[in-house]
Amino acid sequence: MSHSLRAATFVADADRTTWHDETLWFVRQKRDKAVYAVPEFQELRELASQIKEHTLGRLDEYLKQFEAEARRNGVHVHWAADAAEHNDIILDIIRRHNDTRVVKSKSMLTEECHLNPHLLGHGIEVIDTDLGERIIQLREEAPSHLVLPAIHLKKEDVGATFHQHLGTEKGNHDPQQLTEAARQHLRAKFLAAEVAISGVNFAVAETGGVVICTNEGNADLGVNLARVHIASMGIEKLIPRLSDLGVFTRLLARSATGQPVTTYTSHYTKPADGRELHVVIVDNGRTQQLGRPDFRASLKCIRCGACMNTCPVYRRSGGHSYDFTVPGPIGAILSPNIDLKKHSSLPFASTLCGSCTDVCPVKIDIHTQLYKWRQVLAEAGEIPIAKKWSLRFMGRFLASPKAFGLGGKLARTGLRLLPHQLTHAQALNPWAVARELPEPPKQSFREWYARAVKQ
Amino acid sequence: MSSSREKILAAARANKPAETPLPTVPDFGGDASVERFMAVLSSIGGRVVWVADPAQLGPVVQQLFPDARRTASNLFPATVGVHAQTPTSGLAEVDLAVLPGEIGVAENGAVWLPEANMLHRALPTVTQHLVLVLDHRHIVATMHQAYARLPNTGGYGAFVAGPSKTADIEQSLVIGAHGARSLVLVLY
Ligand code: SF4
Repeated sequence: MSHSLRAATFVADADRTTWHDETLWFVRQKRDKAVYAVPEFQELRELASQIKEHTLGRLDEYLKQFEAEARRNGVHVHWAADAAEHNDIILDIIRRHNDTRVVKSKSMLTEECHLNPHLLGHGIEVIDTDLGERIIQLREEAPSHLVLPAIHLKKEDVGATFHQHLGTEKGNHDPQQLTEAARQHLRAKFLAAEVAISGVNFAVAETGGVVICTNEGNADLGVNLARVHIASMGIEKLIPRLSDLGVFTRLLARSATGQPVTTYTSHYTKPADGRELHVVIVDNGRTQQLGRPDFRASLKCIRCGACMNTCPVYRRSGGHSYDFTVPGPIGAILSPNIDLKKHSSLPFASTLCGSCTDVCPVKIDIHTQLYKWRQVLAEAGEIPIAKKWSLRFMGRFLASPKAFGLGGKLARTGLRLLPHQLTHAQALNPWAVARELPEPPKQSFREWYARAVKQ
Repeated sequence: MSSSREKILAAARANKPAETPLPTVPDFGGDASVERFMAVLSSIGGRVVWVADPAQLGPVVQQLFPDARRTASNLFPATVGVHAQTPTSGLAEVDLAVLPGEIGVAENGAVWLPEANMLHRALPTVTQHLVLVLDHRHIVATMHQAYARLPNTGGYGAFVAGPSKTADIEQSLVIGAHGARSLVLVLY
């Protein structure tokens, strides 16, 4: 199903669409405030981009360095070429310990690999512990945003979910009380868990350590209580030096939610005495993206979500309309690399306004890449016939001043004379489904100009 | 060695772009004042208390948390002994942990807490309330300066900036998600 069709279900509820739009715009405004407070913010973006660019240019060497340092620290390092291997490695570690109770902190990579269903299918209880993640896990939904996984839900929705699953009072949708209920429920899970799985925000080649950033402290609580910690990391999470964290920690939270930094920025370098730390290094299509010069910059992404908060299409269509682990503008670049056919409509889910590129803390040229994907898709014959022919026709039409002038005249007269039912017939003019056509001007610019010059 | 390792490394080698230089990150300077640090930490939900003399720590904590029964600390006589091997059940009972921070960051209110200062890795998050104690001369302006002061990050260590919080329910800020419900910073 295309993005626009899925988005149609979301926008059918006009009030909710408006609310979603305003909520995310509010987050974008908080980001602006936080960013303007840092005089060197633009310099930091440039540095972050250069550090990531450099790392990609030596990726194999940094991976080896990271592995060697991590092993020296007593960390078990695993390599997974794809999602299936990632899931098998993790299941295997859990089984070797005869464990069945797992807590997980937020990780888009484990989402990407569909780890939860894999573990559940093998009789392992896996509990998401980030509040937003837990809410959608109870509702059996996917996250709709990178940083705010339950941003599509209203507090009434959460209240109903908690009433059903956690026994909170019916009709109670006070965020404070719901959070307290989740705290109590999850605390029992944290205390009982034998294994904790986490994502990775940054992996430092120099130290062999991984860094995890959260506001709730759920990663630290889970990981530091369990006997075994498994950290799942994409190969693009590497940075060369510990000091590079100075750049990225100043950018991440400010870009994401407008906070000066996340509450917890935790550095895991060695396992605690008598405990285990495993790092699973995952490719799953990333080296392929690395080999596409036009799109490899997408691997610099630090998953802050700023591009979605600012995107006029994302804000009004909701994260689920992208039907991909990473939604929004960056997801629309990453997804065709994974499955060109399935995600062929995503690079079109953009106005190409460039706002995503403007806010990206690592300076990914997001809108340019979206435009390039459109060309790749057209070449591969992956755009709908109607769009293809109408674009071809438009191309010719706009290239000919004569045809353009005549067409304008016809349109101006046509719009005046033709019945509304015909000009707005949804089958003929899908553009007018949710829009009014403009009032036709009496004359074109060219006619006005010709007359003005004469006078 | 797994074959996936070789496969990934070979693909990374074959597909990587031309190498570009690794930039030097400047210091950027900035405001390292106690006032800035206090203002930022308060704005993110922390509370700052000044003491003239660290010897007053005991009475100050007593006054701040009169109801705390089970307190763990390596700074003053505490009521629960916590160490690296304390079982989960023991940790779960702690009401209050009072621990020494090493570095304060003025621009974001974060305090560096290395493993060596936390009795048990889980203590700063499993405790209901957290007090960090910091020498005001250890405040730096930015994260760059904080990392420059860290020779390494030990086995584990965290920058803690305020109490645990979430905004996952309709973007309403709620203090006290899974970690400590409150953070008091005692500056001397
Ligand atoms: S592409 Fe840039 S703005 Fe979007 S999530 Fe990634 S880092 Fe953030």
